[in-house]
Amino acid sequence: METAAIQTHGLTRRFGALTAVEDVTLSVAPGQFFGFLGPNGAGKSTTIKMLTGLLEPTAGTVEILGQPFGAGALDLKRQIGVVPEGMALMGRLTATEYLHFVGRMYGLDRETTNRRTRELLEFMQLANENKKLVTDFSHGMQKKLALAAAVIHGPKVLFLDEPFEGVDAIAAGMLKNMLTGMINRGATIFLTTHVLEIVERLCSHVAIISKGRLVANGSIEELRTGVASTLPGTEGEQRLTLEEIFLSIVGAGGQQEQAPELTWLT
Amino acid sequence: MADVGGANLGGLNERAGYAAGGWLGPLARAQYKALARLRWQMFANGLRSNKGVLELGARTFGMIIYALMGLALGTGMGVATYFLALGDKWRYLPILFWVLTFIWQMIPVMLASFQEQFDLGILLRFPLRFGSYVLLYLVFGLVDISTILGGLCCVGIWFGIAAAQPGLLLWTTLALAAFALFNILLVRAVFAWIDRWLAQRKTREILGAVFMVGLLSMQLMNPALYEKRHSGRSGHQQQAEQIREAQARYSPLLKKANAVQQWLPPGLVAAALREAVEQEPAQALGALGVLGMYTLLVGGVLAVRLKAEYRGENLGSAPVRDKAGSGRSKATASLAFPGASSAERAGGWAAGGMVAGSGPIAAVMEKDVRCLLRTLPLLYAIGAPLLLVLVFSGIFIKNGAVQGPVFPLALPACMVYAQLGFTQVFYNSLGTEGAGIQLYFLSPTPFRTVLLAKNLLHASLFAVVALLAGVLTSLRLGVADTAVIAATVAWLLFSLPCNLTAGNIFSLKMPYRVNPGRISRQRGSQANALLSLVVQLCILAVGAAVFALSWFLNDMWLAPPIFIILAAGALLVWRRVLANADAIAFGRRDAIMATLMKES
Repeated sequence: METAAIQTHGLTRRFGALTAVEDVTLSVAPGQFFGFLGPNGAGKSTTIKMLTGLLEPTAGTVEILGQPFGAGALDLKRQIGVVPEGMALMGRLTATEYLHFVGRMYGLDRETTNRRTRELLEFMQLANENKKLVTDFSHGMQKKLALAAAVIHGPKVLFLDEPFEGVDAIAAGMLKNMLTGMINRGATIFLTTHVLEIVERLCSHVAIISKGRLVANGSIEELRTGVASTLPGTEGEQRLTLEEIFLSIVGAGGQQEQAPELTWLT
Repeated sequence: MADVGGANLGGLNERAGYAAGGWLGPLARAQYKALARLRWQMFANGLRSNKGVLELGARTFGMIIYALMGLALGTGMGVATYFLALGDKWRYLPILFWVLTFIWQMIPVMLASFQEQFDLGILLRFPLRFGSYVLLYLVFGLVDISTILGGLCCVGIWFGIAAAQPGLLLWTTLALAAFALFNILLVRAVFAWIDRWLAQRKTREILGAVFMVGLLSMQLMNPALYEKRHSGRSGHQQQAEQIREAQARYSPLLKKANAVQQWLPPGLVAAALREAVEQEPAQALGALGVLGMYTLLVGGVLAVRLKAEYRGENLGSAPVRDKAGSGRSKATASLAFPGASSAERAGGWAAGGMVAGSGPIAAVMEKDVRCLLRTLPLLYAIGAPLLLVLVFSGIFIKNGAVQGPVFPLALPACMVYAQLGFTQVFYNSLGTEGAGIQLYFLSPTPFRTVLLAKNLLHASLFAVVALLAGVLTSLRLGVADTAVIAATVAWLLFSLPCNLTAGNIFSLKMPYRVNPGRISRQRGSQANALLSLVVQLCILAVGAAVFALSWFLNDMWLAPPIFIILAAGALLVWRRVLANADAIAFGRRDAIMATLMKES
């Protein structure tokens, strides 16, 4: 049996009385483009933080590439790349300086770091912004730089927390191509985003988390079949979109109907 | 939309039942109430954590200290004013007002990074009038330490004049109120503009260059001063001759300076009081009128800056002119990076080791140097003690001659001042990382390596500053005795690892966010500032005890071996703390990231 790229067992995180993530068990196979979806506050970012060592689980285990992963697993950290929620940028550096720094922190030599920095800045269309400090970048430019930093060391597993937020359509297209290329070369990508169209186009497998619990997990086709079987009049005739599947699973349809109308809004 | 204490800031518009009115209209008043309630709720919520309670305790303690300082200063000013007024020596009054202005304007610079300040920029999304914004900006400034100290000094001066010349009460009240208003506006205007300049790379670099030139000038000025003084030690008669010569040479200059200062705010307020004493109400009113014009001018300068902020200028992303040709470049076809091969990894450092000169150590040091050179407030904090050394060493000089008994210990005393400038650098070494702190937790570099790199850099910087301070002190006071130099160097070898050890613990357990592009409106941490001061005092107390012992036994050579033994112990503790840095950092990663990534 093939070793999973990402494997969790009973992953749980509590903040005092609040249980943000509860008993999440999932497995991501090598080479999979995995979409991790959920409404706001469902526990997506908390889960990704636990998977990348930024947050300690209250209970449960994480394995990356078949090895237990914790804060001290330095060798494993070389195999993963992360675009975290806060982007991990350093505002007082230029993009080149920042990528140099990140490359060396991941153990690349100067020559390789310089070469990859150049290539990444070109690819991300940031090469002409070399005199600007990162703090002066637009949000979209910062996202692109964060993504460049996440891949500079050629990770085998990539975690992306909302990577397309604020990125323009042209850049988003390029990034999608880059990520697809990584998948074709055997990398594994774990993606959270609210843009369901992107997940539908890129991801082969999807998990949905709601109120801290995993409520669905499988290939998009499996989820589609599963949801269609529960909805009257959809079998065989209608191909459900991921948005419809998502709304059906997290139960937002009902919520929308129950929500009071704000009549004072013009 | 934020609902604050039942009053919705965003929804308070005419449709909701509030007439807009002016900056004191119903809408504005409701907003002030909501804001006051917000501040109260933030304060109360802050007390939910132990850190919040500690902060409150430290802040209260700090306020008591500053209030006592203010009372002492105010009393001193009051007594001085009383005797000046009683002896009809009004011509000396401007000196007091110049000193007061200096205190009022300089203290915020010295304490900026330790004071928690509320960034009003977050209120701009609400329908807040410009007048209300300005009012709030000024009201929040009133709880500033400099305003409290300045205000208490004004009260002292008021009592001094009231006791000596009760008839001047009205004039004194009027003049001091105008003077206080001028200072409040000036300090806010200066900070608002400095923040603006620091937000742009080019102006920040220009300010940095000016700052460095200032420091270098100070260094060059000092030997020149020393040379003059040195030649003046040849005899009392010659010295008296030189003083007479200097008086003759500088008297016209002083007269000119006096004529100029009369037209500046401290001189004007003194002039207004003097004219009132001399029963010249028109001239007194004239002086106050000119002071009022200065106040208006400073208010206008502040208003220009606030207007820009009010229109939505975010200093965190100051406008940068786009180059005409900065169009999109063609993307390269594809990127295919293999994972880092062993050949590509920086020369085989052990992941768990702390090998000097390894890739990450050099990377962190290089990055911190770049950031430091772009962070004027930190450069200032490091360089300012040299100025203090210059001023402080003057205590040991009288009439061009070095004072006797205290002099031998002047060198270690000056070194203490030099070290004080590094408090923030040592005790909050992660403060400027911001969101970048995440990278240290994500990368395969152990946290102890990051702290080691920072310690090495800070120790090197301190060595440079200590060397400069030593040279400066020697030039001012003459070269100290060899035993004192040896004892001072040995004390530094002890105090440095002590400070680095405590600094590493504080940086991990009590960090606070520092916005490197700002001098004012920082969050700061009173608890960190106070406790780091306590630790520094303990280190100083150990040093003072060893020096006192050597002094008492009349053998200064006793101190170096004692300090060397203490230094060896301190180094062991430093190494141990560093070895545990990963455990501490990862145990507290939530809190560290939450604190350092907080935007406001």
